[in-house]
Amino acid sequence: MTTVTGETSPQGGGVLGRPLDIREDPQLLRGEATYVGDIDLPGTAHMAILGSPVAHAKILSIDTKAAEQLPGVLKVATAADFTDVMPLPCIWIPGGVESHFPPHPYGLPGSRPVLSGDTVRHVGDPLAVVVAETPRQAAAALAAISVEYEPLTAVTRADEALAEGAPQLHEAVPGNLNAYWTCGDKDRTDAAIAAAEVTVELDLVNQRTINSPIEPRGAVGDYNAATGEYTLYASTQGPHNHRFLLSALVLGIPFNKLRVVAPTVGGSFGTKGYLYPDMPLVLLLSKALGRPVKWVDTRTGLMNSTVQGRDHRQHVTLAGTRDGRITAVRCTSYANLGAYPSTIGPGVATALMGRSISGMYDIDAAFCEVYAAFTNTVSLGAQRGSGRAEAAFLMERLVDRYASEIGMDPAAVRRKNLVPKEKFPYDNGLGWTYDSGDYQLNFDRAIELSGYADMPARKTEARARGKRLGVGIASYVAICGVGPSTRMSKEGMLGGTWESANIRVHPTGEVTVTVGSASTGQSHGTVFAQVAADELGIDPAQVQVYEGDTLKAPYGQGTYGSRSYSMAAPAIALTARKIKSKLVKAGAVFLGVPEDKVVYADGKVFVEGHEDDTENTKTFAELAMALWYGWGLPPEIEPALDETTHFDPPDFNYPFGTHVAVVEIDELTGETEVVAYTAVDDAGNIGNPKIVLGQIEGSIVHGLGQALMEHAEYAPDGQLVSRDLGHYALPRAIDAPFFTLDKTVTPSPHNPLGAKGAGEIATVPPAAAVVNAVVDALSDLGVRHIDMPVTPEKVWRRLRGEAQ
Amino acid sequence: MDLSLNVNGRPEQFSAQPNELLVERLRDGLGLTGTKVGCDTGQCGTCVVRLDGRSVKSCLILTAAAAGSAVTTIEGVTTPGGELSGLQEALRQEHGTQCGFCTPGMVMALGELVDNTADREAPTEPEIREWLTGNLCRCTGYHSVVRGVQRACSAAREDAPAQPATATAAAASGQEG
Ligand code: FES
Ligand code: FES
Repeated sequence: MTTVTGETSPQGGGVLGRPLDIREDPQLLRGEATYVGDIDLPGTAHMAILGSPVAHAKILSIDTKAAEQLPGVLKVATAADFTDVMPLPCIWIPGGVESHFPPHPYGLPGSRPVLSGDTVRHVGDPLAVVVAETPRQAAAALAAISVEYEPLTAVTRADEALAEGAPQLHEAVPGNLNAYWTCGDKDRTDAAIAAAEVTVELDLVNQRTINSPIEPRGAVGDYNAATGEYTLYASTQGPHNHRFLLSALVLGIPFNKLRVVAPTVGGSFGTKGYLYPDMPLVLLLSKALGRPVKWVDTRTGLMNSTVQGRDHRQHVTLAGTRDGRITAVRCTSYANLGAYPSTIGPGVATALMGRSISGMYDIDAAFCEVYAAFTNTVSLGAQRGSGRAEAAFLMERLVDRYASEIGMDPAAVRRKNLVPKEKFPYDNGLGWTYDSGDYQLNFDRAIELSGYADMPARKTEARARGKRLGVGIASYVAICGVGPSTRMSKEGMLGGTWESANIRVHPTGEVTVTVGSASTGQSHGTVFAQVAADELGIDPAQVQVYEGDTLKAPYGQGTYGSRSYSMAAPAIALTARKIKSKLVKAGAVFLGVPEDKVVYADGKVFVEGHEDDTENTKTFAELAMALWYGWGLPPEIEPALDETTHFDPPDFNYPFGTHVAVVEIDELTGETEVVAYTAVDDAGNIGNPKIVLGQIEGSIVHGLGQALMEHAEYAPDGQLVSRDLGHYALPRAIDAPFFTLDKTVTPSPHNPLGAKGAGEIATVPPAAAVVNAVVDALSDLGVRHIDMPVTPEKVWRRLRGEAQ
Repeated sequence: MDLSLNVNGRPEQFSAQPNELLVERLRDGLGLTGTKVGCDTGQCGTCVVRLDGRSVKSCLILTAAAAGSAVTTIEGVTTPGGELSGLQEALRQEHGTQCGFCTPGMVMALGELVDNTADREAPTEPEIREWLTGNLCRCTGYHSVVRGVQRACSAAREDAPAQPATATAAAASGQEG
């Protein structure tokens, strides 16, 4: 089980930082929350999507006549029915370099069309839809659509897609190369490597994985002919963003005619922030049929259409001295973007990974180059810890390889190279400037808690039981708090990345907070109420939080990259401060004293020095009522209490941490069991430790999944072998080890709460920690690396001396 | 075909196609949407309900095969908005749910384990984890769920009249289907 030894640290003695119970939980536990699949509008028709069964082909003809005749079928549509609809845009292109994309009319880098017409480019590529009275009728009709394909050769690996003679995916993308992107100083790095006392190299495969939220995606479109308004209910983590992209850039309808509602969303981990064809399709078909149209994906559908993650093939080099000082790191990566640029996939594969490769270390020279390529696979997108997990994997594998080369303890090598405390803010030479941290404290705590010093004895003891014990360390820095809009524009982000909050104080003194962010299971309703209550000095029970409906919430960019708490919560805090300052102004009027004599504390205003004297005090509720009436206010004070803030931070924030995995490998079966796991993470000031604890535990198990079992495996012809949960392994309860968790707390200077991202950060290091541990366990056999997932078969072969 | 089920204590009569799945009857036919569908292959456990007391995956059972049985769904565990069961309360205290999509299935599957605990030794952590292998959760990493079950089992044992522990721990084997 989990042991948490860290003290919680309430800030300012208020309710923030305390493990308050989660107010969302009872409804979820009773099964009463409404997910998109549970929405049942009167007259709903059901949509099913026909995905291509082949990975790459020309479509010669599609015959829908037989399907149209089937019982219950209302409409069958193909690309020909949507010629006036624009392709779904990509909004995060690799910044500062030339990129090639299939075109979009707005001059944006284009992405996929709503339905593929002439060519299909991956298994599952949608090419026709059926709407019928029931889901079963819609699904049955798909089988009656006949499509004639002229097969084309498929390519599923980025490096192979870039090779001479590879099949071409898009006319506008010569050689399948989306972008060649670099960061860092190439000459300096090459020179440092050439001059180094020691260099080590590795060829790494960061395998493709599937996020697999337990709720597959879904969408309901509802067009109102009387008003010309469209409503989309969708499992989205960014309703406002989806509204903007869909209205202006896909459908070409006025922004104010589209409402997007995110109901309860059953997990996302990055995947539900993307635009998918089903979203415009349900809206267009609802308009065409005059009925709400609903689509809910199947698990196999999800595997074949929802964005996938990771997928880099890398050659990496580290240089250093004989005594353990790292002098340079270099990475050449082939990133697989899949068949189409997803909404932000190209940015994930380049900047989010490349600028992070030096991790926690103070390295003089670093360089990363990424060849981002299109292949006949599902589009690439974000995946819990995206980019940063890929970066940590390569760096932390390299450090271990280097330690073994120079015969030094891997912990000692790391300790020696950590960015020292006095060097913050620290420019990592790759584009990120780390805000704050005490990496030594964090590292030492993790090493001590893990019982690292006892490992030799534990190895001997395990050997006597027929097990090989290995220990692996992985440290990381994760860029979060996306982000400073101007900085992100330089990274190629086509859009603002600020966040907003509105606070409305009702005449009765209750408070409603609305935010532009949208939870996919992060208990926003609880922690955002804590933020507002803490600032205002009131009971969190007085505060209600709303989000997820673009009609009701202020603009915001949504939940991704562990940004909600470090972006939306500061917006709430700043808004609460506006409310407080108005209360002080109004208090001065009602108390009849100058403003500078008025103090706001503990949910009331009072004349300085007269805190306990009711004559000279106005409570929060009294002032709320007085402002609602608006009687006797001078012209410079508007009635009512309703404020909004748009928060755009000066820079990102950089949580960090160190994890230590201990594995035991069974000599006979090759099975790897994680027997102990220690994690010390630093997410700055935390809003609700109960929420963060859950996220850290979940994130670690997710990371262990990549290390040990998860793999989106494509056959050479482009068929996705791992097409359902029978073929794609997710960690189950028996796969999770005992965890020992702790934290250090280094506030970020980049937001008023000192918060750093937390939600997914603990997914960043586990894969590296586990593979390091496995390699440690097998090192006496000459094993220097083993590719993920570390399956029993792979290990069993290595135990028998077979090469990788 | 005309069929009948007793669902959450209420007799239900309806006509169904022979290939209809129990989960379709519950969600689409009876509007009991607390039971979720997370996969097509019987792997995820979001659709678990109790069929004559045993936890089963309702996506793997034809409605026809369940005919005449008593089905309990998550809606039958509490009244709407009502007081949480001991297991639900324990999961609430341990924050054993995040996005909540796996949660109804977990509550139904684990309910059987907790119900059987009152008069036997409390299940060990590995037993709880073993019992949970039919249910996938992507958010919590299962730890808070396991803590919740441990809490629920101790509460159930404290509340139960003292009895000699007869059943062995091994009785807590995996759920059906
Ligand atoms: S829906 Fe996944 S097991 Fe039934
Ligand atoms: S709480 Fe989200 S899948 Fe379990």
